[in-house]
Amino acid sequence: MGKKELKVAFLLALRSLQRGSRSSVILTVLIVAMCFTNMVFLPGLFNSIGQVITKQVVDYEVGDVLVSPKSGEQYVTDLDATLDLINSMPGVERATPHYSKAATLKYHQRIVGVTARAITPNDEKLISPLYSKMVAGSYLGDSDTGEVIIAKMIAGDPAIKEEYEFQASLGGVRVGDSITIEWANGYTKDYRVKGIYSTGWWSADTTVYVTKTDMEQVEGKTLDYADYITVRAKPGYSQKFIKDELQQYGVAAKVQTTQDLLEKSMGRALQSYAIINMVSLIVGIIITTVVLFIVITIKTLNSRKQIGILKAIGVDKEVIMHNYGFQVIILALLGISCGVIMTCILMVYMAYNPIVTPDWSASLYLTPMDLLSNSLILFTAAVIAGYVPAYQVSREDIQSAMRS
Amino acid sequence: MIHIHELTKIYHMGDVEVRALDGVSMDIAKGEFLGIMGASGSGKTTLLHMLGLLDDPTSGEITIEGNDIIHLTDYEKTMFRLYKLGYVFQDYALVPDLTVMENVSLTAMLRKDRTEQEIIESSHEVLKKVGLFERRDHLPRELSGGQQQRVSIARAVVNKPDILFADEPCANLDSENSRMVLELFKEINEEFQQTVVMVSHEDWHTEYFHRIIRLRDGKIISDGFNGNTKKPHGPGAA
Repeated sequence: MGKKELKVAFLLALRSLQRGSRSSVILTVLIVAMCFTNMVFLPGLFNSIGQVITKQVVDYEVGDVLVSPKSGEQYVTDLDATLDLINSMPGVERATPHYSKAATLKYHQRIVGVTARAITPNDEKLISPLYSKMVAGSYLGDSDTGEVIIAKMIAGDPAIKEEYEFQASLGGVRVGDSITIEWANGYTKDYRVKGIYSTGWWSADTTVYVTKTDMEQVEGKTLDYADYITVRAKPGYSQKFIKDELQQYGVAAKVQTTQDLLEKSMGRALQSYAIINMVSLIVGIIITTVVLFIVITIKTLNSRKQIGILKAIGVDKEVIMHNYGFQVIILALLGISCGVIMTCILMVYMAYNPIVTPDWSASLYLTPMDLLSNSLILFTAAVIAGYVPAYQVSREDIQSAMRS
Repeated sequence: MIHIHELTKIYHMGDVEVRALDGVSMDIAKGEFLGIMGASGSGKTTLLHMLGLLDDPTSGEITIEGNDIIHLTDYEKTMFRLYKLGYVFQDYALVPDLTVMENVSLTAMLRKDRTEQEIIESSHEVLKKVGLFERRDHLPRELSGGQQQRVSIARAVVNKPDILFADEPCANLDSENSRMVLELFKEINEEFQQTVVMVSHEDWHTEYFHRIIRLRDGKIISDGFNGNTKKPHGPGAA
């Protein structure tokens, strides 16, 4: 197959698309574009959900690395020494302990059960963006006592009646109001609401934060232990590096990266996402393959006589086959290009109008490599789908073709 | 130039055996304008298709310029058609999506012995000859039947083939256009000494042929030269 033959095949293909049925070309391109969009939409959405959840978990739950009690123990003990050790390690931005306790909030006639978390506010700033999520009032200071920050969802909206609330709230607490907290150990105290925040992460938005000093009052003793320690890595240091380092330094606790935790907690969900992605990919490929197969089959069936004539006047069967092959290549390239454009438009649209749930807000997260790999898969499937009928018809006997 | 010996073609239509050609033997000389005539079903198109390498005989021999064409491979037959033969079909058989110029130059573009400049020049030359140079950028559907057939002739002769086959080229044309087409064949035959083999069932076409072969039921019933036309050179003239 020489250059001249390919040139003639390309000319025939181009002219057929340019001067043939325009509606058929547009429809085919649109179908390929929709198939491409369908192929990448769900994986893109799940990628985005995964990214958002991972970020929220890192930001509001465990940091990059979680140091939790050893098996059989309730707390991470010898807290100050452990924190000093971790904070002195290279690659560690900051480590901070969390200590949580069940509590009941009371405000006027409203009662809400929550988890209250004790933090060291200034250290927490280096771990979590919570301080930047204040919608009213201000964030806690290390020396604050008798003050709490609560989530907007817990503070509530006075305009919404209790029976219509999705999440139980205090019915409209404002900054400066006093709320009563009844702790699980029976200790009860009034606290001033210093700030109200909203993170968009369900777990954080159903929590009340107090200072470690306040929690020590609740417990009636110095807290030299914690439920766990969250560790933030400096930019450029991987979670794995920090984990290995902590283990090498002999931190006497269980050390896990966020990735380890997510794989355990969300392994099933990730597997399900992978299955859905695979189904979506296969469906997209099948639809494109079938559509292009049908389009080219119809084209070849309608052109059988012309194919016979071309062969009769000395056009080689390879030229005829590549003519249809080039048509499929052009249709697939146009369709995939339209699909990429449609996907990019969707990405921009969803960046401004994300899908919002109490746990996450997701848009479309697709890397150039995702777009490229899906394009190549679809392109390959399309070319195979087009070449099969093209190959068949180009092998047909001249007489049978001309008689049709 | 063309030697045919005991050519037979049998079609099977269910259990029925149809002898489309039944032991046809003849020679065609170079430069001859041969008319193959006969009633519908006499085997004239089948014979043309055998000579043009469009179909294989059941038995018999065909040699063109000493080449046994029956036993060529599929690719060799394609190349033989491209380099040696030209075809004009009853229904013009132009590629509808190509312009007149593209239709004419299509086969020339496939030949390895033609430069782009030569292709353009030869296409322009034949289009001028058939009187359609001004319409070279039109699509076939924008032309009349007679004009389309002239494009088809231009396509067939652009490579200056040794033999030109025409299968009832005037069947869809009125008498004025038919005469124009036949004049073209005559000019091509005389000017380039190309052998022309044409199938027809119109008696008045015989005035253009050097030699007329009449078929009936797959057999030659008459083979003679036309006294009104200039006889060609070669064995057929003997």
